[in-house]
Amino acid sequence: MKKILGAALLATSVAFTPNAFADTADGKSLLGQPWEKIVETAKGGQVNWFLWGGSDDINKYVTEYVGGILKNDYGITLNRVGLTDTAEAVNIVLSEKEAGVTDKGSVDMIWINGENFRTMKQGGLAYCGYTDTLPNNKLVNWENPAIANDFGVPVDDCEVPWSKAQFAFAYDTARTEKPPKSIGELIEWVKANPGQFTYPAPPDFNGSVFVRHVFYHAAGGVENLLGDFDQAKFDEVSAKAWKILNDMEPYLWREGKTYPTSVNALEQLFANSEVALYFNYEPAGVGLNIENGTFPATVKGYGLSDGTIGNTNYTIIPFNSPNKAAALVLQNVLLSGAAQYEKAKPDVWGTQPAIEISRTADDIKAKFASIKKHPAVASAEELAKNALPELQASWISAIEKGWVANVGQ
Amino acid sequence: MSDRLKIALLLAPALSIIGVLFFGGLLIGLMRSFNYMPVIGLTEPDLSAYIAVFTSREFYLSFLLTFHIAFTSTVISSILAIGSALLLRRTFVGRSLINFLFQLNLTVPHLVGAIGMLYLFSQSGSFARLGAEWNLIAKPSDFPALVFDPYAIGIILQYIWKEVPFIGVIVLANMQSLGEDYESVARSLGASKWQAFIHVLMPLIFPGVLSASIIVFAFTFGAYEIPAILGASYPKALPVLAYQKYTDVDLAARPEAMAMAIVIAALSALMIYFYVRYMRRRIRS
Repeated sequence: MKKILGAALLATSVAFTPNAFADTADGKSLLGQPWEKIVETAKGGQVNWFLWGGSDDINKYVTEYVGGILKNDYGITLNRVGLTDTAEAVNIVLSEKEAGVTDKGSVDMIWINGENFRTMKQGGLAYCGYTDTLPNNKLVNWENPAIANDFGVPVDDCEVPWSKAQFAFAYDTARTEKPPKSIGELIEWVKANPGQFTYPAPPDFNGSVFVRHVFYHAAGGVENLLGDFDQAKFDEVSAKAWKILNDMEPYLWREGKTYPTSVNALEQLFANSEVALYFNYEPAGVGLNIENGTFPATVKGYGLSDGTIGNTNYTIIPFNSPNKAAALVLQNVLLSGAAQYEKAKPDVWGTQPAIEISRTADDIKAKFASIKKHPAVASAEELAKNALPELQASWISAIEKGWVANVGQ
Repeated sequence: MSDRLKIALLLAPALSIIGVLFFGGLLIGLMRSFNYMPVIGLTEPDLSAYIAVFTSREFYLSFLLTFHIAFTSTVISSILAIGSALLLRRTFVGRSLINFLFQLNLTVPHLVGAIGMLYLFSQSGSFARLGAEWNLIAKPSDFPALVFDPYAIGIILQYIWKEVPFIGVIVLANMQSLGEDYESVARSLGASKWQAFIHVLMPLIFPGVLSASIIVFAFTFGAYEIPAILGASYPKALPVLAYQKYTDVDLAARPEAMAMAIVIAALSALMIYFYVRYMRRRIRS
């Protein structure tokens, strides 16, 4: 409850900040304007960016690097608002729409994908139709279906890609000799190594994607699950998936009587040697955790032979953002070759760019080519050889609800 | 200007804040809980959210857990607080230092305390490692599960740690303003120490204990952050469950979240009513 109150207070305090600069809530009037004019309008303003705040390295990149460029080159103040769950920001926009706040919203931009994007679209909460206005949009390959569709939902010019990520596991070579290299092996491995494995309880983002891997395994391949939600197919596959997970339960950490509630909790359990395997949708975190001493240097990331799920994440501008010009400038900065390169550096964040490197300037291409990957991080090229697509958001909701009802209780 | 008008005017700022922010929020929550949310196309109010809440097994388990957390924490904290106040009202060397240490927790935020609990009591925490080091247990994971546990021991420990000084300070102030005259009279008339405590001092400090423990009960029943950090994944404390519904990606789950929040508010009001009645009767007998 306190958190909701905090978010509400925060929203009010942000909303009451005096606007000394041009109000650019009217998104339509910005469309088709020359870019210089938009940059000029945005000058002296601020932009409130709501994003998941669970990683110090990402927070630092956003406030120091991106915030620095905005301040020095464009005179815009970046206000980073950390979230534990992206749905919190969606809720703020939704409540504002309900209260009739159509041009003085407190959220200017959200880091988003998947189910939350679907909600934004469902509720008519997104500002759309502007991507051509951004000069750096030419670096994005919209022909790629993995970019043009966000978890199976067409993007329709309502958000801009930021990074790509692909799920990977990690283990400590000093503690575990042979980690399981496929979901099938994992199921056997868990039984042979009681108490050494667990996963965050869905609807945690990473716990949910782990359960989807088991779901794909139970379905005999993801190709049987693509397309619109199919209740009959869901019932058939979920029965198998819940059986696998329930059979696994007595061999999990704490005999499966409880599950960690977030991926941060799993990270702690792994760092403290309570469990032997760790996983994350962002494989680069393993390298950063080794460098900052959370994980021992003997930890190593790896992919699965039967593939791991990959996705693209985006930034979105709510329909009622009062600082749309500044938000557009921010999106354009994020898409620039320089900012995407900085983000790809293993000591900064190490995440995969969402732009086509071949379309960037020669010096940026050379910089990307010079990146030395952290040796412990599962290589993006290797992972990409066995990439699995995400399901449509309606499938994901059904799987999360089904897990809580059939396994989590 | 009449006094009555003056009082009304003076209270107006505070009352308007309570009226608008608290009752306004409650009203909107109530509307949403009846499935009335025009922005996502729900315009026909009905009771389906309440039916969904009251027919779910998880809700009842969560209620029992939350009641257990609030009740156990309140009772243990109250008893320990009275005991500590009895000791602290005596004069002894270093009393002001002990008194200071006793109240130190009051300044530590709940969240910080919860992280401390994790560091100390988890199966990879300090006590588990010390236990393994001193061969009390074979390996750290043999340490009993005190956080993320089904009995909410970690949560209750955290609340006791935080609330004993809170109730204790109120009771101590109460005892000091009363002095020891009443008990001395009772003792001089032949009452034992125990009789003087139970029949003389307890009824006198009771109103203070009661109001402090009600605050603690209401707070622990409705608090989100401690069970969110130290609680098991199933069942969840009611506020954690309501918040999970509130952040569900499916917009249709919002009314259910609001219904649950309204039920939490109503239940705490009801339980406080019975708690006060029970305690009053108990102390009279």
